[in-house]
Parts: sequence; C-alpha cells; structure tokens
Amino acid sequence: MYRWLDERLDLNRFNKKFLSKAFAVHHSYFIGEIALFAFITLIITGIFLTFNYEPSIRMVKVAGKNLPAAYASVLYIDSLPFGAVLRSVHHWSASIMIAAAFIHLLRILVSGSYKRPREINWFLGLLLLVVAIVTAFTGYSLPFDAFSATATGIGYGIGTSMPYIGEWISQLIFGGEFPTVHSIPRIYSLHVLWFPLLLMALLGGHMLVMVKQKHTQPAYAKKVAPGRILGVPLMPQQAYMSTVLFFLYLAVVFFIGGTYIAHPIEVFGPPTASTPPVKPDWYLIWIYGILQIIPGDLKISLPGGAVMNSEFIGSILVPGILGLVAVLLPFLDTRATKMRYMELPTRHPIRTAVTFAVLAFLITTTLAGWKQELGFSNGQLWAIIIGGSIITYLVVYYGIILIWGRPPKGDPDAEIA
Amino acid sequence: MSKKTDTTRRAIVGATIGVGLGIGSLSLLTPVISLRPKKEETPEAEPPKEGDVFTFAVGDNAGKEISFDDIPLGGPAVLAFPKDPKSGVIKSAEKNNLVLLIRLKPDEVGDEVKDYAADGTICYSAICTHLGCTVGEWDSSKNMLLCPCHSGLYDPRHGAEVVAGPPPRPLPALPIRAEGNKPVVAGGFTSPPGVLAGTEAAGGSCTV
Repeated sequence: MYRWLDERLDLNRFNKKFLSKAFAVHHSYFIGEIALFAFITLIITGIFLTFNYEPSIRMVKVAGKNLPAAYASVLYIDSLPFGAVLRSVHHWSASIMIAAAFIHLLRILVSGSYKRPREINWFLGLLLLVVAIVTAFTGYSLPFDAFSATATGIGYGIGTSMPYIGEWISQLIFGGEFPTVHSIPRIYSLHVLWFPLLLMALLGGHMLVMVKQKHTQPAYAKKVAPGRILGVPLMPQQAYMSTVLFFLYLAVVFFIGGTYIAHPIEVFGPPTASTPPVKPDWYLIWIYGILQIIPGDLKISLPGGAVMNSEFIGSILVPGILGLVAVLLPFLDTRATKMRYMELPTRHPIRTAVTFAVLAFLITTTLAGWKQELGFSNGQLWAIIIGGSIITYLVVYYGIILIWGRPPKGDPDAEIA
Repeated sequence: MSKKTDTTRRAIVGATIGVGLGIGSLSLLTPVISLRPKKEETPEAEPPKEGDVFTFAVGDNAGKEISFDDIPLGGPAVLAFPKDPKSGVIKSAEKNNLVLLIRLKPDEVGDEVKDYAADGTICYSAICTHLGCTVGEWDSSKNMLLCPCHSGLYDPRHGAEVVAGPPPRPLPALPIRAEGNKPVVAGGFTSPPGVLAGTEAAGGSCTV
C-alpha cells in the first residue's frame, strides 16, 4: 500500500522534507496546540449539532407549548443520548479555545516572539483570536432562549452604536433589527459556515508560516547547540506527544461537559418581552464591566449629527485601541538581529511589566462586571482599574530589576547568563 | 510576433478582464444592499396611536386588557403592549412598542410628566435607551425602574430621568388618559423609543 502510494506521490520525498521536521520543545509550546485541539473538537461536535438543530424562530408546538423552532430543537438535542454532553463539550471547547489562544498570545508577547521575521504570524494570531471570539458570540444566540436572545440583542445594540455605519452593519449581520425572522438563519450561516471557513484559512496560514519560518527556540537551545535547530522530529515523537495531549484534552473537556451542562436553556425558557439580567461569557465580561461603569452621557460629537456614544467608546473604541496597539507592536518594539530564540521576560522589564498591567486592566474591568454583586461605586471601580494597572506595572518592573538586575545595554539577549 | 503587438494584446486582455470584473462587482451591490432586510409593515408592528388600550405583555395574563386596578400602586410597573380596540390587533411585533405602566400617588407625579399621566398612572417606553433591554425590574429600595442588563436606573416620578447607570437619555413617555377604568393612549411617544443608533439623542420626555 505504502509503495503503491509512494510510486505515485513520491511520499519519501515528502517524508524527508516535512515529517522529519524538527519541532522545538518547551512546555509553553503546547498551549497553541490546545487551541487547535479545541477547534477540532468544536468542528466534530458542531457537525453533530447541525444535524439536529433547526435555524428558525417559527413557532412549533411541543408538548402543548408554543416554542420557537430553534429553542425546541436544542431541547431535542439535549434529549438525545449524550446530546447535552456534546452540546456542553461544544460550549466549553469554545471557552478553552479562546483561553488557550489568549495564553498562547501572552507567551508570544512576553517572549518577544512577534518580532522580525514573525510579524505575519503575530497578525494572523490576533485575527484568529478576534474571529474566534466573534464566532463564539454568534453561537451564543442560536439556542434562542430568553438569556441568549437578550445577550445577542445587546450585541446588536452595541453594533448599532458605531457612528455612520453601525445600523447598516448591525442589520446586515443580525438580519434586521434583532430578532427578526431573518436573524437566526443568517447568524447560523455565519456561525457554522463562514466564520469556521475563515478560521480554517487563518489557522492554515498560521501553520504554514510557522513551518516556513521555523518555530522560535527556547533560550537553552542557544547554549546546547548554537545556530542549529534543536528539537524532536514531527514523525514520530512530536506526533505522539500531540496525540497524547489531544486525548488528554478530550478526557478533560468531556469530564467538564459531562459534569457541568452548559447553558441550561430549559431553565432560561424561550424569549419573552421581559429580559433577564444577563452577563456575557467570561471572555467578554471585561467589556461588559466597562459598559457598567462608563458614564452614560459620555459622548464625542462627529460631523453630520453622528456621535460616538458611551456604548461605542466602552465596547468598540477601548478594545479597538488595545487591538491597534497590538498590531503596531512589532513595528514599535524591534530588534537588530533576526529572532531565533525566545527572549527572556526578565531581560525586557518594560515589556513584561506592560503585559502584566494590561492583564491587570482586563482582570479589574472583569471585576467591574460584578459591580451589582460587589456593591462598589463607579468611582471605586475606576480607582481599582486605573490604580491596579499602574501598581501592577510598577511592582512587576521594579520586581524584575530588583531580582534579576537591569538588562545589559545594547542587545539584551546577546548573551544568556 | 513583434514586441509591440504583444503589449497591445496584453493591454486589451487586461482591460477586458478589468472592465468585466468592475461591472460584475458593481452589479453585486444590489444583492449586498438587500442584505439589510426591509422592515415589514404589518398592523402588529404599527406604533401605538390614540385610543389604543393596553394588554399584558408577559405572564399568565398576557394578551388580556389592563385596567387601572391591575397596576399596583407605588410599583412595580406592568409591562404592556398597545392594542387597537377596533381591530383587536395587539401591536407586539415591534420591539419598541413595549411599554410599562406605573401607578404612583398623584402628588408624586413630577411636573415633567404631569400632562401625560392619568390618575397617577404614567406610561413609559420599556426599552432601555442604552442597549435595548427591557426595563422590566423594580428597585424596591429606591423605588426606581431598573434595567437588569447594565443596571440603568430611571426615576418614574420625574420623567424617567436617568438616576444611575449607563443609559444616555430618559425613557420616552407615552401620553395616556383614563377611559372608564382603563388607561388609553392619548398620543405618540414624546421622543423616539428604543436605542438611537450612533446619532445625537434629541432629548428625553422633558424636552418635547
């Protein structure tokens, strides 16, 4: 069989070129892989869900009750053998994919791996994170229960707050003023077709660029074998490690999915005229937190009667500025030599401290999402957010200098102690 | 083949492809524009008009007409949809038609909404001006209307002005009058209900 294929496809050449490729080994390199495994799991469980889901809000009669078809079909999925577990695994995998992608991003950030020549993969990675979050958000509306319909309605409201184009774009994505009869079919096609295709294309690009440019190496590789690529071959060592990790991932996520049923739609009930108090999923609570504490009358007037209101500033402008800084980063923080080895975070105290300060900002704004429960005032929360971020910066910066000393002038990574 | 003809040929082929692609993508504009669905004009989606009565929007009584006795004095508010009494159509297809009825002691009704109230009962749009959630909760410690989504607080006594939270403007009022034992719509909203998309808000119920 192998010979038959080899004669036709020249597999030996392929093997030599790609399957024996050396993969650098470091525990932090598996985080990106976990994001990939989560994506694969999402597709497989997603196929199961699409086979049973009905993307429509027409009313159907189920057990004497009038329910939207989408809602009823998710109830049906939950009633299937392992249906609720697979739906939960789908839900938790989305969370894990975003979490893993974000931690992967932090690793790239503190190790300076976004620098020349890896800027392209930095951009692709940022796009992947944003598209993953948007995809997760579109999936949120599909069960069409009271909770998810309210949350998606808020998303629609945030979209319309964009000056000039907001209403048009929001109606394009949500099929009119959410919820209309067009909303669920349109969001469904985005969620199961167009965004996954985009994710696959971006992921493919991300992998290809990584293979072409070669992975960064841990700093120890410089001491062990300077100028050479230190690692294990893709086939068989790396492949076995990844497979074991994938099984571990499946074991953990199925345990979580089987133990904690995600988004219990029977409890929330179908949408009604009143809206329940909703919080978004954890990865958007920081934006929700900002919206809670931003002054409502904050606005910047634009020509033509348009205005940047507080919703736009809090939920689009602030994340947008963070994204813009991330995009500009490889151009602002550069180095003279081509990057081969990960930089040590302790040799770059400013960058490391800024990373931690941004993390502190995200955590404290997430905290603001529980404003009601915590009973803090807006002023207190702003003090915690701004003070917390600045203090984190100072503590990390001076902590690094105190413990590891100031980085040497010139190329701080020239010699590794 | 001379070099010159070669370039000319290429230019012609290039121009043909370019023009074709250009016109082709221009013609795509129409379907793209149609992606924003047209709003369907049905009797159920018409705005409230004078003479409309109110029906319960949620709960076991949904669809039943509301009389003053159904609205608890001093809150909480009752969510309602307007109903055309002649055709019997409940106007629940338009989200911004959702209103709330709140009954206060007549001396509690502030000057801002005095003209719109009937017998201490005031009708406000129930769609939060922030991001379009339903202002469906009642803060019983402060006696205020509460939107659960981002905790916007509105004072029903003073034209539903924003007391706390992110909403950019008060809830518009819907003028009502008493007809027998029932509140009845006496005019249109005092300002556009719902979320104003990225445009300058034109006052609340105070500025008419």
